[in-house]
Amino acid sequence: MDEVLRTAKSCRHYAMCKIDFLGSGLCRSGAERHYVSFYPQGRMDLYAALAEDRVPVTPACVEIAESCDLCGLCDYQCYFVTEMKPTAVMRALKEHVRTYLENGGKALAAEKDVVLDGLKEIVGDAWATNDRAVTLTYSHDPCPVAEPRMPGYVVLPGSTAEVAAVVKLLNGHRVPYAVRGNGSSVMGFVMSAGAVIDLGRMRTIEFDEKNWLVRVGPGVAAFDLQKAALQRGLRVNVAEPAALVCANIMCSGIFSTFSASYGTAADNYVDAEFVGPDGGVFRLSEPTAPNLFGFRREDAPLPGICTSASVRLHPVTADEDAVFVPFSSLAGALDFARECAMRRIGLAIGVLGGEYISTFLSPTAKLAVEVKSVFRDKLKIEFLVLVIGDAYALAAVKKMGFPGFDSRLIRILNLGLPALASARWLDLINELADEKEFSYLELPHFADLAEAALAPSPAQLVRDVDPELRPFFEKLYERPELTDPLWLNMFRIVSARMGREKHVLAMIIYLPIDNRLIAEIDSGFRRIAEGHGLKNDFGFITPLDNGKRCVFEYDYYLDQNDEDEKARMRQALKEAGMMIEAIAAASGTVTWIRHVFRQGFSRKESFLYSGGGAGA
Amino acid sequence: MNRGQAGAGRACLLTGATGFLGSHILAGLLKQGERVVVVGRPAGRESLAARIRRLLRWFAIEHLEEQLESHEADFLKPGLGLGADEYERLRRLGLPIIHCASDTRFAERDRGTVLAANVGSLAEILDFARRSRARRFYFLSSAYAAGIDNSECPEAPVRSLHFNNVYEESKALAESRVLAACAQEGIPCTIVRPAIVYGDARTGRSLKFNALYHPVRSLLQLRDIYIGDIRKNNGKKSAEWGIHLDAAGVLHMPLRIVIPNEGKINLIPVDYFTAAFLAILERPGGETFFHITSRRPAGMAQLAAFSGRFLGLAGIEVVVGAARADEMKNPPEELFDLFIRAYRPYIADQRVFARENTDRATGGSLPPDFSYEIFQKCMAFAVAADWGKKLF
Repeated sequence: MDEVLRTAKSCRHYAMCKIDFLGSGLCRSGAERHYVSFYPQGRMDLYAALAEDRVPVTPACVEIAESCDLCGLCDYQCYFVTEMKPTAVMRALKEHVRTYLENGGKALAAEKDVVLDGLKEIVGDAWATNDRAVTLTYSHDPCPVAEPRMPGYVVLPGSTAEVAAVVKLLNGHRVPYAVRGNGSSVMGFVMSAGAVIDLGRMRTIEFDEKNWLVRVGPGVAAFDLQKAALQRGLRVNVAEPAALVCANIMCSGIFSTFSASYGTAADNYVDAEFVGPDGGVFRLSEPTAPNLFGFRREDAPLPGICTSASVRLHPVTADEDAVFVPFSSLAGALDFARECAMRRIGLAIGVLGGEYISTFLSPTAKLAVEVKSVFRDKLKIEFLVLVIGDAYALAAVKKMGFPGFDSRLIRILNLGLPALASARWLDLINELADEKEFSYLELPHFADLAEAALAPSPAQLVRDVDPELRPFFEKLYERPELTDPLWLNMFRIVSARMGREKHVLAMIIYLPIDNRLIAEIDSGFRRIAEGHGLKNDFGFITPLDNGKRCVFEYDYYLDQNDEDEKARMRQALKEAGMMIEAIAAASGTVTWIRHVFRQGFSRKESFLYSGGGAGA
Repeated sequence: MNRGQAGAGRACLLTGATGFLGSHILAGLLKQGERVVVVGRPAGRESLAARIRRLLRWFAIEHLEEQLESHEADFLKPGLGLGADEYERLRRLGLPIIHCASDTRFAERDRGTVLAANVGSLAEILDFARRSRARRFYFLSSAYAAGIDNSECPEAPVRSLHFNNVYEESKALAESRVLAACAQEGIPCTIVRPAIVYGDARTGRSLKFNALYHPVRSLLQLRDIYIGDIRKNNGKKSAEWGIHLDAAGVLHMPLRIVIPNEGKINLIPVDYFTAAFLAILERPGGETFFHITSRRPAGMAQLAAFSGRFLGLAGIEVVVGAARADEMKNPPEELFDLFIRAYRPYIADQRVFARENTDRATGGSLPPDFSYEIFQKCMAFAVAADWGKKLF
């Protein structure tokens, strides 16, 4: 496989090219046409399909290829996340189509049909298609358990009324459908052999500050909503930046480190509007609305299409900041996180693994590996507990006697990461026989020392970045927010780096912060993955509901182009699922995300405390 | 002679042979033509035999490998973790035992493992000594097992109830266990207590780079941090604290080392330790305790001066007296202070160690005075060996 095709086939489908998370601008054709096909992600898929002769050149294909102006913006965005440079693929796509046409090839138009005509009548000609160059880009994702399904139609309604009409039309023609936000859940749930309803055009954001809520359309991405909220001095609880907020509530209830105080599921919204399976429209606040607050411990059907959600707004104070408290053991980190949650200290709390922190901070995979080793082997840091809070909360953490990395030190470490990887003085830190772990962090001038030793600067941080992109990245890291843990946690733009080396599959469960239970599940996930030769690591844990429960993510990693690895992953996921089900049944306190999926509008209490078996 | 005739044919059982002092004792015994039965642990995937072979190469005595046999053991397991036949065969040898295995960590947080290694493990070893009717039990302790209740430390059982750290405490506890068990079983017993041991005074060679080396290495790292800042970052941070590089390449780095009193650092080179230990082995019964210590210990000011000269550092100042609570330290002072915190009791030590028994055993041989020449040799070797990373 040549390098360009490999890049094309390695797109993670995290939809990061659909949001302007670097402030560098968005792919122009994507922003105009909205179909994923017109974004770099779609073009990657399309080029791979053309190169492998899986789709013909079609009119939309020509349009998609020609609408790319090779501006290079996608290189900045994609390299930031995955170190890939899609422009080479965009160029190859244009070249492929140009050569085909120059050689007398004809663009093969799809046949019109009555369903398509009906869809176009509802949404307008531009927003429904059965062109295979477009439908292909909605046909698969890297999830190893989902078979690709080529939809017959892709439709992009622009309003609730249009969604309702589309649903009725599809029902009338017995065409099954899947509803799609940005598809960034990457769990194989947004594919259908019938129609895919892409809600990306519905991007209204209406603030109602008097009522501490913001009404968002289903096409609004987390990043854009958070940005709009922050401009008003407010905050929303959102997850991955490219995830569309309404879809994200539906899929997972939205959890983030801020869920420690803001909650999850029904805590995140005040009201929501749906188009039901019959095409009828209802609001959750209506007394006659279907009850979506309950929870069934099973794979639930889609209760409807969320076409608007009134999302809760949260106040922000000027003294908010972050601290990362290091631990050499998971038990120590859990104890501390639980203590903070029980005492209601901090807005955001997260127990992070070594893989997380090193991958998040490092602009390249090579540096991430070196940094992970420094954290683990020299600094003896296995886990970091992030606490974000106001000055009172952070003072309380200090008073609890836990030394930590504050924002200034994190910024120094981040911009000095390459020097950290080769710092000889860390050997002495490692050999410290001090009574208290990480006591060096209590030195009043440790940040000064680190600054002298690491000579932190954007130039140093990006010194191993691709030379072509280095000037952009150097300028990017001059922006303070790129090394500000508070901003990074609100916008989560570095979390997609988890998939830089390989596609990441997150195992997510809700359970008590019970050290033994968590250790058992942690080692179970590890044992299963290692038994199948799969890369794996602890992800993160965030306390919920004052520390009575938590959400725990453990990650498996997959080379999406390696069929053998995919087969092993399928087996591992099956075994992991069986393990969770068995533990859930035995404990009565464990819930799997699989069951929360499509039930994210429920009350968190409905799935956190409803029991999984013996204790139910 | 308490161990049989010297030279070929004489044998002993040695633990801790892969440690700093144990390995030098092993090399010394082999060079004297003795047979040595080494009992110890593998390290990770490296077998005990491989570890020993590596050490023999370091001592350039691979040709003496035939004089030793090694047995992988775990002192915390019943029967030393040896197979029944293996245990029985070793027991029947009835060899004198030299027990050097030890955990030398100081930190209170390591209390459990240090006590297990230094005290807990004695049960099985002493039981083995009893079963094998060992001709003698030699226990390598530490001069600092004397504790801190008295500054005069005789070559006698420990009387202190207070110690600087768990290491000292564990050695004192171990001594009392050894003495009691040996008395009960009628096994003659010798307890050897060295002071702080550094590399070979003649060559500078060493296998371990803690203790004396640690403050020097700390200063070196601090020097390199600020030289790096000056060279790569225009000295932005250095200037804030009055740190600068002069034309001669000397780094001026104000660094006060506050010590509570004019105490001393009791240092002996490993070549002297080995010779003294071997001489004690030849000593007929009688004395039990031997302090391998210096009569003229070095001072912190001397060590600071040597370090400054060796590292091209100016500005190191040793201040005697209590540090003022409100006195602000500069960043290098803070980090240096942290790096040497565990060693603080030993850089201003008031303890004086009697060594009459050792004098008798060694014919009055004393360790060399700690000169710059010796310091330079040792530190040059340490730097070349990258503080232990490039030893083998």
